[in-house]
Amino acid sequence: MSGRPENAKSHLQELVTMFAVTPRRDITHRLREQLGANLGMEPIPGYGPLQASPLSTAKGCGIEAPKGCAMLLAPAGTLEAAKQAFQAGADAVYVGLKGWSRGGARGEFDREQLRQCIELAHALGKKVQLAANIIPKPPERQRLLQQLSELADWGLQAVILNDAGFLREVRRKLPGLAITASIGCGALNTDDALFYQDLGATAIVLPGYLEPEEIAAIKARASIQVEVMLHMVQEFIQLGKCWMPSYVHFAAADRIFPAQRLGGSVKRGGVGTCFRICQQPWTLVNDGVEADQRLFPSRQISRVGELAAFLDAGVDVIKIQGRSLSAEMASVIIGIYRSATDAWKCGQKGEWDPPALPAMWTVQGR
Amino acid sequence: MGSFELNTTISNLRSLLESDLSAYDAVYLGNIYCRLFEDNFLERMDDLKEGITRVKDQGLRAYVTSYAAPRNDALPKVQMALETAAAAGADAVEVHNLGVLRMVHEQFPGMAAHVGGFANVYTDAGAEVLKEYGAVRFTPNYEISLDEVESITRGAGMPAEIQVHGKMPLGVSDYCFLLEYEQHWPEKCPVLCQKQLFLKQGDWAMRSVGKGVLSGKDLCMLEHLPALVAAGHRVFRIEAAYETPAYRLQIGQVYRAALESAVAGDGTVDESAWQAIREHTAVGLCNGFYFGRTGSEYVGKRVEAIAACG
Repeated sequence: MSGRPENAKSHLQELVTMFAVTPRRDITHRLREQLGANLGMEPIPGYGPLQASPLSTAKGCGIEAPKGCAMLLAPAGTLEAAKQAFQAGADAVYVGLKGWSRGGARGEFDREQLRQCIELAHALGKKVQLAANIIPKPPERQRLLQQLSELADWGLQAVILNDAGFLREVRRKLPGLAITASIGCGALNTDDALFYQDLGATAIVLPGYLEPEEIAAIKARASIQVEVMLHMVQEFIQLGKCWMPSYVHFAAADRIFPAQRLGGSVKRGGVGTCFRICQQPWTLVNDGVEADQRLFPSRQISRVGELAAFLDAGVDVIKIQGRSLSAEMASVIIGIYRSATDAWKCGQKGEWDPPALPAMWTVQGR
Repeated sequence: MGSFELNTTISNLRSLLESDLSAYDAVYLGNIYCRLFEDNFLERMDDLKEGITRVKDQGLRAYVTSYAAPRNDALPKVQMALETAAAAGADAVEVHNLGVLRMVHEQFPGMAAHVGGFANVYTDAGAEVLKEYGAVRFTPNYEISLDEVESITRGAGMPAEIQVHGKMPLGVSDYCFLLEYEQHWPEKCPVLCQKQLFLKQGDWAMRSVGKGVLSGKDLCMLEHLPALVAAGHRVFRIEAAYETPAYRLQIGQVYRAALESAVAGDGTVDESAWQAIREHTAVGLCNGFYFGRTGSEYVGKRVEAIAACG
């Protein structure tokens, strides 16, 4: 990897120092002032074009939880969101790499932004998880694998993947990279966890509508890390099990990211192909007679009030959904989960009543 | 197996007893969406055992399906169904959930596993993994094209089961919103989801079965059977979990005759076949996914059939 100029290194050191001594509420503003474009969209001086590297043998350490407590994993759709997430108390952020993450182009980083994010995280003792959870076209698998190899060399610790076949290939060829089986894999039960554990996944993402007892049962049999998306929108159809959008309109993803993505649903990586079909009004017709006008049921899940039960059950990573959230909105959510997690860690299990989220952030929809 | 296999789906013993299966080679027993579906084979082990026996007594292969998205509380029942399938001599089990595939692989190593459409087989690499877990055939994810299916079958060395008719699964849910209507309609769970319920928006529709959403249109590959046979496909499915015995019989007869013709090198389809399809189609026909198009589109020459169904 190319070396970073000395002035940039010292700049990062200043940032680390600032985090150590400055109240969190002041940091975002000072970050903007002090870092300016250097941690924004501008390239970092001294970094040349990326060179292809052989498959990495870097030994990533995953995003294992701090001893005795779960890790707080936050979404970051922009570099600014990543900064604010760390400032608000996230232990790690997950970000998308342009063209390769499920959910399309919203909230994806380019390579330079990703590199800056990784370096910022390292400087702060935090971590970055990369969402590369589309299902690549078979001819594109090697290209994505090469990208992941380069990113592992940069210090990326973990990657989120979607397809069982690609997951196994990455495990074999990049043994040091921690792999999370995406929520799009549709895992729900103990044997799902064991399946992905067999394949070599480091972690599995489970939806936040599971109960703590289910998490405990999984943890009792499986050694794989369990990430639970405790803050998410539960749509009517399970994530990873919905083809309604492409039944209505099959978007030609290739026009946006030529050759890279399969077309079709969000599950397989289609770009902009979730038209929120489930959030549009429908007429329910019963034996040919109009019976109702309605939406599919969906709800915002925010289980911060039950966080202690989930932590008692052995959750390794508390995950917050929403790379498309603004940095400000995400920060508030992260802060609340941070407070609740810290309270649990301090033994305030039964005594601490976590603050409610502002109503505007718990409405349906994203 | 003869030169091809035509199979279908039946959710409970009542429907099995009412169905004439003479057009079929094999039957999948069970409803994959809901544990509360009326007398679901997957919840009633005595019925499942009897169903397997009755199917096999007719000289057909008996397959036992399993839930599309089981949480931990369903796994003991899944385990019982697998044990019943093995003890009663089922020819294979169908798995949509990869955890259940692992259960089959670990606990019933001699049992053939068919990977269902909710298992999300999109690539040859994914299929290869499932093959190592004992899968002997797979239903491709419903939104991929025949070209992609071919690359998977070639790459993974595993045959595909191709749905040729019936409503396509489009999604599975953890929640049945039809229960909200129990207070207003005379029908109650567990038969509520068997009503002819469609979700319509503009000029297109989807069929609601409570915890599942199916295509409103019937997938129809009747005029493309010669191409499917020429491409090497030999296993075909008529999805009929929520259809009547009459649908199952008449559509089955249409496809049996057409497949026999296709295998014999004759691609013609009798006009009466289209008449039968029209009679059993509520909102039209589709097959777009197989041709890399929007799923609700129909690709083919039978434009007049589509118009008549629309």
